[in-house]
Amino acid sequence: MELRIAPQMSVMEKLKILAEGAKYDVSCSSSGSSRQNDGKGIGNTVAAGLCHSFAADGRCISLLKILFTNECIYDCKYCVNRRSNDVPRASFTPDEVCELTMEFYRRNYIEGLFLSSGILYSPNYTMELICETVHRLRTIHRFQGYIHIKAIPGADPLLIQRAGYLADRMSVNLEMATAEGLRMVAPNKHRKNILAPMRQIQNGITENKNEITLYRHAPHFCEAGQSTQMVIGALPESDFQIMSVAETLYEKFSLKRVYYSAFVNVNEDKELPALAGGPPLLREHRLYQADWLLRFYDFKVEELLSADRPNFNMAIDPKADWAVRHLEQFPVEINRADYHTLLRIPGLGVKSARRIIAARRFGNLTFADLKKIGVVLKRALYFITCNGRMMYPTKLDEEYIVQNLVWQNQMGRGEKLPFLADGTSYRQMSLFEMPAFDNDNDKISQYKTLQTSVG
Amino acid sequence: MEEKYLICEDSLEGIFTGIYDAYALREGHERLHLQIGEEENLRLFAEYVHIAPDPVKTDKVARTLQTRLGEHVYHSLCRAAASCYPDKGEAVYKTVVDALTAGSGRRVMENVRNPHVARCFELARFTANEAHYEIEFIRFQELAAVKGTGDSVLFTKIGPKNNVVPFVMPHFADRLSIENFMIYDEHRKLFGVHPAGEDWYLVTAAADFSPGEPARSAKEQEYQELFCTFHRTIAIKSRENRKLQRQMCAYRYQDYMVEFKQKG
Repeated sequence: MELRIAPQMSVMEKLKILAEGAKYDVSCSSSGSSRQNDGKGIGNTVAAGLCHSFAADGRCISLLKILFTNECIYDCKYCVNRRSNDVPRASFTPDEVCELTMEFYRRNYIEGLFLSSGILYSPNYTMELICETVHRLRTIHRFQGYIHIKAIPGADPLLIQRAGYLADRMSVNLEMATAEGLRMVAPNKHRKNILAPMRQIQNGITENKNEITLYRHAPHFCEAGQSTQMVIGALPESDFQIMSVAETLYEKFSLKRVYYSAFVNVNEDKELPALAGGPPLLREHRLYQADWLLRFYDFKVEELLSADRPNFNMAIDPKADWAVRHLEQFPVEINRADYHTLLRIPGLGVKSARRIIAARRFGNLTFADLKKIGVVLKRALYFITCNGRMMYPTKLDEEYIVQNLVWQNQMGRGEKLPFLADGTSYRQMSLFEMPAFDNDNDKISQYKTLQTSVG
Repeated sequence: MEEKYLICEDSLEGIFTGIYDAYALREGHERLHLQIGEEENLRLFAEYVHIAPDPVKTDKVARTLQTRLGEHVYHSLCRAAASCYPDKGEAVYKTVVDALTAGSGRRVMENVRNPHVARCFELARFTANEAHYEIEFIRFQELAAVKGTGDSVLFTKIGPKNNVVPFVMPHFADRLSIENFMIYDEHRKLFGVHPAGEDWYLVTAAADFSPGEPARSAKEQEYQELFCTFHRTIAIKSRENRKLQRQMCAYRYQDYMVEFKQKG
């Protein structure tokens, strides 16, 4: 017998509840997969991904990000859908999800589907529902757009494999950077259960690559790779710990992306911090900047942070911070330096470095040319020479450069730092120099256990 | 020596014909200039020549550029030629001179030391960026089915600065290959039309044409409302950042997007 206490809900109400439940999942990229339409169904994918709209918080809307159901048997402290919360519950049917996706996609509202779910009855039951939905979307509706599926930790490996052949990207959320942290906030989740499907997907992707080399038309397994996310600021983990985990994940688990999510205390749980100034957005921003340095600029975590300097400087970005601490390597001559040296200059990115290399085949570059190429001269000018000259006479001095960089940001269009108004020097600016975070021995031991549990 | 200005029509054909004629004149490229449309202030020591677009010359130039400079450069030149800025004619022409005559060849777009190439690169990038934004931000609506046929037609109106419709159409023709759809550029009165399963083409409407508000299908309103709800719900209150939103999606695109038409 089925008891229905709540009346039948309309799709509109369900969408409201289930989008509400999914919005704290950050991953929203539709990149990494490139596929043409076969002329029989709808959709294709673009390697760089497309964002179709931007929400009021400035985050992109690329995929229809929804939960299949927000009913959950788990009771994670940070999650809005935990069992002990009294929130309206709803579940889609597979057909409703398919119809929404197809109709939104035709109108160019979205790039594809991001399907996550609370745990209904058991991980296997939930994973099967997700697979069934996506299977219908791919076969009955012949949808060829982007699909991102959450792998439910603890689900049967066969189900995860099946999902991998239907999806472009899969992800398992690590949630907390340390195993102890996870145990504290999510009593039903275990690090082992999270890493197992991650490893399985990684192996699946490697095997699939070999298969495709041999048989060109072999089906693709998670073409766009896998990603994960960590919550930032819920527990006193240092940036060094978080970045080390991210680096391990990129190297050992070949992840495409690690997302960082500034903690929002949705449940006002007494064991999690109440963040008076809102979520730690600036810290999240610094972590993303460092993440880019790892993936595209050949930086290593040890270069940016260390056990005695475990957190990022909040006043300047990690790359500028690295540069001012390594002034012996500057200034760099733009017309001579190799690609990797160019990449290390603040104000110069992957694109401008490539353009510089290409343009100097035709002759020596000047500062005016650099401006046209797209180099941010107001940041770069302290670190470069063109034909042996600097742009203005400047001092190659740490304090001087940092003051100028920070001042420019405050005056211009750069990052505004609310806490610099009172004239504090940047050296005092680490937000974590508080007694609660200052137990270094503890951090190192945590870091060691973390290394063993991840590696 | 007197400067000579070739005045061409504002189109790819116009610019390519201008380039053909500039080479045909054999008078040295330093003194020759390509100009789009009439000059308001005529120069004293300059000669003005009007060039009528010619499909045969256009074809010849296009073929030469494709074979000698490659598809990549050719597409960049086409994008620059679709720009909204009037100095595009000169930029494209002098870039072609840099490539073919000065010898930078297939690498010409990398030679940003040449100011004309830098400008051409800039114009091409602007068009490419705008086309990319339109690909992201176009919102189709389903029109009411024509009586007798059950076929649905998707329609959208855009107002880009550059002539991006030709660069946007291939993307949607692949993605929505089984759909009938139309993209209408308000400023140029230009339609990109794609009948289901066939090739796409461009149609220019008469100067006094106005599409008005076409009748929409029965389900259209419902899906628009669903998407607006989704768009509102997905934002996290404690992270609200309207400035970032505006930075990522400018007001001039928002004007054409359903989710920004309703306040909220």
